[in-house]
Amino acid sequence: MFQRRRLPWEYGVRNLLRRPTRTLLTLGALATVILLVFVVVGFIRGLEKSLATSGDPDVVLVYSMNAEENIENSSIPARTPALLTASLQGVQRQSGVTTVSPELYLGTRVTIGDEDQTRLGLIRGVTTTAPLVRRNVRLVEGHWPGPGEIIVGRLAPAKLGCAVEELAIGQQIEFEKRSWTVSGQFVAGGSALESEVWCRLPDFQQALKRQDISLAAMLLQPTANPAEVELFCKERTDLELQGIGETDYYASLQKHYQPVRMLAWLVVGLVAGAGIFAGLNMMYGAVAGRIRELATLQAIGYRRWAVLLSLVQEGALLSAAASLLAGLIAVGWLNGLAVRFTMGAFALRVDSVALLIGCGTGLVLGIVGAIPPALKALRAPVAESLKAA
Amino acid sequence: MTQIAHTFSALLLGGCLFMGCSDSTESNADAKDDSANSSPNATYLLTEKPADAWGVGAAREKVKDQGEVTLIGRIGGSADPFVGSLAAFTIVDPKVEHCSADEGCPTPWDYCCTQDQVKDNIATIKFVGEDGQPVGQSAKQLLGVKELDTVVVQGQAKRDDNGNLTVLARKVYVE
Repeated sequence: MFQRRRLPWEYGVRNLLRRPTRTLLTLGALATVILLVFVVVGFIRGLEKSLATSGDPDVVLVYSMNAEENIENSSIPARTPALLTASLQGVQRQSGVTTVSPELYLGTRVTIGDEDQTRLGLIRGVTTTAPLVRRNVRLVEGHWPGPGEIIVGRLAPAKLGCAVEELAIGQQIEFEKRSWTVSGQFVAGGSALESEVWCRLPDFQQALKRQDISLAAMLLQPTANPAEVELFCKERTDLELQGIGETDYYASLQKHYQPVRMLAWLVVGLVAGAGIFAGLNMMYGAVAGRIRELATLQAIGYRRWAVLLSLVQEGALLSAAASLLAGLIAVGWLNGLAVRFTMGAFALRVDSVALLIGCGTGLVLGIVGAIPPALKALRAPVAESLKAA
Repeated sequence: MTQIAHTFSALLLGGCLFMGCSDSTESNADAKDDSANSSPNATYLLTEKPADAWGVGAAREKVKDQGEVTLIGRIGGSADPFVGSLAAFTIVDPKVEHCSADEGCPTPWDYCCTQDQVKDNIATIKFVGEDGQPVGQSAKQLLGVKELDTVVVQGQAKRDDNGNLTVLARKVYVE
């Protein structure tokens, strides 16, 4: 019975509160490491979420075959949407309107306010059919753009690197040698569209002195097969078009970001590794100062494993507290923070997976970090340890 | 004090577990159906190579709409010559050269170096059912073909005013 005796659970808890400075310092260090893990995992999850939600399974994009995977390089005749509508079955009609959206899409230099500095923005010239096809787009403020007006996505300020107020309704920005007035703001369910600026297609064509469009986005009936559009493009080789489902298009973009994701996961590993070494260092210090106490516990009859278990319990409690603290900061402050990247902007996403990885890393740091120093301290003879200064 | 310590510990550990235990259904969305049959369908395959097959380039010049045609070509013409979930693909006249293996081109079937010749030497092959609609299965699975395979196709030609050639195929011989 004596051999099974364990240290009381509250012994470890009290020990933490007995050395408040050391406990707080350890807590701060662990929370910082876990927060770093949250930042990196939130980045990966945000990027994945942005690309995953940027696609409607019923929408097919038709653009130039020569543009390969980059729609910005695409140029197709303006008559293409009419041709597609006339040739293909299965395109949805809503209130008598065929849901095909001709769009001119371009990355161009944008000047905000009176600044001399220009920033790279993503501009999409659209018609009133665009919201019928882009079903996740919602105008949350202002009105649909009239001549010389634009609407901006929720993440457009992040993409342009400016304050939200600078793109408020009534503000003016300049691109393609024309001044444009902000008439509204839209959201698009966190998709890549949210980092764009939309204007009227004829205005944009006029500003660019172009007659063509970049793509035609088609909303098909749920029963229609997107491959029919693809087949039409293959058969009409003279048009040099290609058709691809919108979800497939963004899935192909995800492949380009694979190295970034791999690098980010490597950073998670490195941060966690550094955290474990820092934790080990701290726990060595903490245990070293308690050699006599640990020896006394053994002298009064507690087995080594019971003392080890108590030390691991302390580490686990401390890391759990640090995980919660970092988790609260991450959910309250990091989650939703806009990040700019090449094809737009996305929001950091501290979701269930990020929380699981962050908190899991924290618990591993606390538990694994406590074992080696505890084993070292317990390996020393009890008599010698009791005499230790 | 004992009770407070127990409650404090339980809250911390429980809190960490709770934070990571929601939205577990999200990952299921990416699940893919890998149940497709990959063995070729013998109904469409010829065991002997048909004689007197036209090259795609010559066929585009001479074959008339609705005429019976036997066409030889190599599967390719773009980065993805197959049409998603339908039994259709494009072929290019064998006389048009593609990148050789030693050039290190990852997609030699897109004829990136000879695109100017592809335009006049490409045809679309689609396998249709009795209802005239394309067969709803990928040609890769239905016929066991892949990019740059040389195929001889028998079927009915469909021409349009823009010079495009489509073959409504019934049979194929894969070299």
